[in-house]
Amino acid sequence: MQNAMSMILVAATGPWAAKTVAERASESLDTSLWAVAAYMVLALLAVVVLVTLLGLVLIYAERKIAGRFQCRVGPMRVGPHGLLQTVADTFKLLLKEDIIPTRADQAMHLLAPFLCMGATVLIIAVLPYSPTMQILDLNIGVLFVTAVSGFGVMGILLGGWSSNNKWSLIGAMRSGAQIISYEISATLALLVVVLFAGTMSLRGIVESQEAGWWIWRAHGVGLISFIVYLIASTAEINRTPFDIPEGESELTAGFHAEYSGLRFSFFFLSEFINMFIVSALAATLFLGGWMPFHIGGWTTFNNVMGLIPPSLWFAGKNLFVIFVIMWFRWTFPRLRVDQLMRLEWKILLPIGFANLMAASLVVLSNFYFFPGK
Amino acid sequence: MSLVDFTDIRMEQRAVAGVTVPVAVVPRIKNQGYLSRILHSLKGLLEGMRLTFGYLVHPSRIVTRQYPENRETLKFPERYRANLKLVYDEKGYHLCGGCKLCEKACPNASIRVLNRKSPITGKIELDRYIWRMDSCTFCNACVLACPSSSLEMGHEFENAVYDRRLLIYNLNRYAGPQAEVMEKLDEETRKQAMEPRDAYGGPVPLAGEELPNIVPVRVDSPGNPASRPGQGSDA
Repeated sequence: MQNAMSMILVAATGPWAAKTVAERASESLDTSLWAVAAYMVLALLAVVVLVTLLGLVLIYAERKIAGRFQCRVGPMRVGPHGLLQTVADTFKLLLKEDIIPTRADQAMHLLAPFLCMGATVLIIAVLPYSPTMQILDLNIGVLFVTAVSGFGVMGILLGGWSSNNKWSLIGAMRSGAQIISYEISATLALLVVVLFAGTMSLRGIVESQEAGWWIWRAHGVGLISFIVYLIASTAEINRTPFDIPEGESELTAGFHAEYSGLRFSFFFLSEFINMFIVSALAATLFLGGWMPFHIGGWTTFNNVMGLIPPSLWFAGKNLFVIFVIMWFRWTFPRLRVDQLMRLEWKILLPIGFANLMAASLVVLSNFYFFPGK
Repeated sequence: MSLVDFTDIRMEQRAVAGVTVPVAVVPRIKNQGYLSRILHSLKGLLEGMRLTFGYLVHPSRIVTRQYPENRETLKFPERYRANLKLVYDEKGYHLCGGCKLCEKACPNASIRVLNRKSPITGKIELDRYIWRMDSCTFCNACVLACPSSSLEMGHEFENAVYDRRLLIYNLNRYAGPQAEVMEKLDEETRKQAMEPRDAYGGPVPLAGEELPNIVPVRVDSPGNPASRPGQGSDA
């Protein structure tokens, strides 16, 4: 008992020993293959459960928050305060007929939603949720995330093209143009943090923020790149005000117009999980990930902050960014296609480049708060 | 910081095609710089976010009502328009003199006013005020047309019935003169002048018939101003 207590105390106040599931698995490789298999199953289960729960919770949250933003109450009928509404909707989607248009490219049509979902799940595996909750830490984490999230565009393009429907195709092409354009700004913003941290590993980036989060440690450079990243990534996940690919008013639904039932729900779900991923990345890179709010040198203050478990810190930051993205959606008017491109190429991109230059100057001169390492 | 400075608009006399006319000269839209435009639009976006956040944190702003649960405490806006009603004064006399202006004002012939010659006073008086709820669009034209303000749009909106004949019914509780004439009569004559009318009597599709399992509400009780026709069996 006392042993457990002291362990908890050490866990609460001591430095966090970061260890991923993959590392644990490779350690146990010497002793037992079963343990490795168990870790793999654990990781798989964790991803599946996380995706399912996130889908349920985020869709419910989005509807409730949207309601309150628009002076409504949101779902109220299924379960207390509509809590079971998403569950009911999921069952409805599962029971629906899976329609494939007669003239569609069948194989591609079936493949597209899984590509979308696959890209999403691949990123979930590398996110650091807490020092001990991370499936795999790549030394090129940021590059991996950017590359794989570009993979999701494939699913959208494929879905739109194979549906053999002009609205789907237009939606998909718009989506492709939009995501590829905004990818540049998002990557530029991420590069700023990579410059600061000196590593691409997501865990390394989190650990580099022990003296303070990058959003405020670099005299505004971090803040600007955070804002640029937030805007660009909102566009990347096709959410309002950048929902041109879906274009409810002019394209009916965009790339997933011809999808129904389970396959539609895959697109829908991956959209919401992508929102989570974008928020998780923003939290990890700019808001310190699971790192508590630390101020370099204030040992007592840092210890007090350390009493809150890192997974809660991560969840809190994540929820905050998700809320901000939802806030965007229910406040801002939609952009036209030309306005969208203008915003990226004439405004965000120059700002991103200038910011990157400023960041490199900051790093070269070791100018940020608490530079000592 | 608006795009146009409205205080700079000035009036000027200008010669246009040989005629001197007054012209309002609006200054040109200011050519803003790159940064100031970005800041300007950011400011607008933040203002919008502040507004919606206000909605989020103030539950009093919610306009949705949970209808069947709050049925007893439903509040209606003053100008909410539902079923047409005759206005009765405190003694239970209607104000309608039977001038048929509402019938003429009705754009889709949903009103039929039937008059009769009173056996007591010998003058024209209201016999039946027939309203077709099924074709009424609740446009309020009849209420506006009425010279004696004897009509109003009530708040009873639960109008679903099992037989569409129930949607056409009489509005008046009695056939007889309006309040103005009633005042001049003595107590005994007043009672004689009023002949009770129910909702589904007379030249309406139901014609006084009773439908099985549906008890139409009678409108002839003066203490029941919120009479809902055709839903006698509801809870």
